[in-house]
Amino acid sequence: MEANLIPRFTGPSAPYYTRAFAAIQSRSGFVLSFNPAAAILGPIWAGMRGMSFLFLLLCFLDLLALNQIVSGLGGNTNSAEAARISQLQDTIATRRAEATEAIAAGDTDTATRAAKLADNLQKAVDAAMAETASLTDGASTRVVQGVILLLVIRLATGFFANAIYERRYTAWRGDQTLPHGAPPLRGAVTLALASLIYGVTLYARIGMPPDWLTTFPADKTLFSDTAAWFDAGFEAAYASGQGFFDGLRNSIRILVEGLEIVLVGTPWPVIMLVICTLAWQLAGPRIAVFTAAALAYLAFYGFWELSMQTVALLGAASILCIVIGIPLGIWFARSKTAFAIAQPILDFMQTMPAFVYLIPVIAFFGTGKPPGIIATLIFGMPPVIRLTTLGLTGVAEDVKEAARAYGATEWQVLRGVELPLAKASILAGINQTILMCLSMVVIASLIGAQGLGSVVLTSLQYAAKGQGLLAGLAILLCAMVIDRIVQGSFRKRE
Amino acid sequence: MADPVIELSGVWKIFGTAEQAALADAKAGATKAEVLAKHNCVVGIAEASISVMPGEIFVIMGLSGSGKSTLVRHVNRLIEPTSGDIRVLGQDVRALSPAALRALRAERIGMVFQHMALMPHRSVQDNVAYPLELRGSPKGTRWQVSAEKLSLVGLQGYGDRLPRQLSGGMQQRVGLARALAADPEILLMDEPFSALDPLIRRQLQDQFMELSHKLGKTTLFITHDLDEAIRVGSRIAIMKDGRIVQTGTPEEIVTRPADDYVRTFVQNISKLGLITARTVMEPLISFPHFDVANASYAPTTANLDALIGLCSGSTLPVIIQDGGVPVGIVTKDRLLTAIREGR
Repeated sequence: MEANLIPRFTGPSAPYYTRAFAAIQSRSGFVLSFNPAAAILGPIWAGMRGMSFLFLLLCFLDLLALNQIVSGLGGNTNSAEAARISQLQDTIATRRAEATEAIAAGDTDTATRAAKLADNLQKAVDAAMAETASLTDGASTRVVQGVILLLVIRLATGFFANAIYERRYTAWRGDQTLPHGAPPLRGAVTLALASLIYGVTLYARIGMPPDWLTTFPADKTLFSDTAAWFDAGFEAAYASGQGFFDGLRNSIRILVEGLEIVLVGTPWPVIMLVICTLAWQLAGPRIAVFTAAALAYLAFYGFWELSMQTVALLGAASILCIVIGIPLGIWFARSKTAFAIAQPILDFMQTMPAFVYLIPVIAFFGTGKPPGIIATLIFGMPPVIRLTTLGLTGVAEDVKEAARAYGATEWQVLRGVELPLAKASILAGINQTILMCLSMVVIASLIGAQGLGSVVLTSLQYAAKGQGLLAGLAILLCAMVIDRIVQGSFRKRE
Repeated sequence: MADPVIELSGVWKIFGTAEQAALADAKAGATKAEVLAKHNCVVGIAEASISVMPGEIFVIMGLSGSGKSTLVRHVNRLIEPTSGDIRVLGQDVRALSPAALRALRAERIGMVFQHMALMPHRSVQDNVAYPLELRGSPKGTRWQVSAEKLSLVGLQGYGDRLPRQLSGGMQQRVGLARALAADPEILLMDEPFSALDPLIRRQLQDQFMELSHKLGKTTLFITHDLDEAIRVGSRIAIMKDGRIVQTGTPEEIVTRPADDYVRTFVQNISKLGLITARTVMEPLISFPHFDVANASYAPTTANLDALIGLCSGSTLPVIIQDGGVPVGIVTKDRLLTAIREGR
């Protein structure tokens, strides 16, 4: 029964594969064998045998080699490169014109900037031209390189084919719904796909392809129309919920400004002393010393007020995350339906890049600190929700049952059993949330949230490397101090 | 005769969404598998009735999945029955308001769990006093009561430890102390000794029985171990697939198994300590010319072990008395037959 499985798996050329597999299975380690069909047919062999990923990989490698050969034989690489060079030269001309205009207008700043840009571009053009020249020179070398590459790929395919196919066979024995054999239909599809991929790619390299083949014919009016439609939509949505959005914005503002008054308004020695004492009490002397050093850095380099602004933003965002997130986490632990609905939303909140949702946020809340905090909430809240739910669902069922058997109400079970037992997980969630909030509070300077992030933002705009680096270091120290203190206090409590 | 403390009559429990439809079919005689296939519902308990008398240790014995743990959870309504009547201490448990149910659970029923189910974040004494804390007792009372209950189970001085610092057997004694904390009338013990190793289990069984004699609590005891059931039980109910197959005293179960299922269970149990003289004796009339003067005497409640002791000392049969009056006789032949049958 074992013996006739191999023919069932391989289909055509069963005797060959029976021998090859037997050789592979008779020894441990790699067994040298050569599969001429795989070497000659390459991707088509893989496709026919039902290994689609291998098919695509081999196609890609083949095309790499074929491109090399074709371009050596005089494809249209040079024309594409030439087009790029002429485009760059146009830009240089524009910049130079700008520079002369600015000099005429007496604006030396703009003039030097434009001139510098033009110079940089000129360097790029020179490099590109040199490369084109070397390309034309090395045409025959490229052909030879391409041929060698193709040969190496095919030989490797031939040598590894049986080993790969034997692994496939092993997998198929466990799950016989996997593709096996070499049915004619799959062969036909493979051939059609391969000829499409090779044909179109090579045609685009050799022939004079129409524009739509090289660049996708995108519809520019579609873009602008949709964008306009969104603009109108955002405005209408804002108008219909203006009271709500403004109310939310103002309540968050009150929270941030309150924190800011405390942190910025209190004289710096007091705040420093309080933070260091807190670090010592919560996390021990080593972290207190580190905290003092970090605070000294912030103060000496003039980041004190900015970092206190950042801490106020972070504090407001973290408080909101925890106050909203923990009850949500508790709810999701109790209701499977609610959690099932929330799960994709939480995923979405975390995977969506900040650059995408900053726009809706400013559409509804404008720019400044409150929208910065709202953007931070979106990013920072999921961990505390998730880890609260995880912690609560992980509480042993029999302990909860015991509490109920002794007459506990649901509230008593939650407070006396579930929350204490889920504490470690919830605290880990809070720590993660705080750190994620910090990273987002910095990014939120893009929409005017101020703080340390704004220094980095202006540094990026003016390429002020030194200033940016100092501000970046300040952010890093803030993050480390907060993380050390929070983690240290959790560890101490356990 | 006194009223039963716990009385379940005709209790059904169906797990699944289509409870009522499944119940109707199951009552009409559909098998467990048919109900599962048709309604995607599991029959947990089928038509179970038990009544537990004051001071009795009533054992429910069955293999895993037989529904014994489900059944015991109906007594304090940790599980809602699909149909049937449940009366505990004269109250209709199904009709209780949530507050009254919590009061019943906290004050009148103590429960011990297979895996102890102690709260790992609380000290031993706070675990023991948890039922009192739920009812709002002050800390002084709680600590006093837990010290008292801990010494009852032989764990005095361990109050300030955390449960994880104690061995498994000690943890289960804490569980027992917790069940006794509110001084309840009823103890529910859900496989309390199953997770312990055999030596500790034996030790705890002995300790539990001693305590039980002293306190006289009505106990519903769940086990999957027939030896344990016979050791601790005054009566035993055997469950299979959610049904109670047989209810009776250990002797009845062992000597007169109701069906093949029970028979396979009891066949490896030594019956020498369970079968009494009353079941094996022959009438006095069969031995009209018997030499009464030198014979040994035994009461009707003497078991085979005791009879073996008496017979081996003499060649004469044993005379069985009931309240001093000879009522029957056991010869060596009869004893040997009884031992062989009752093996």
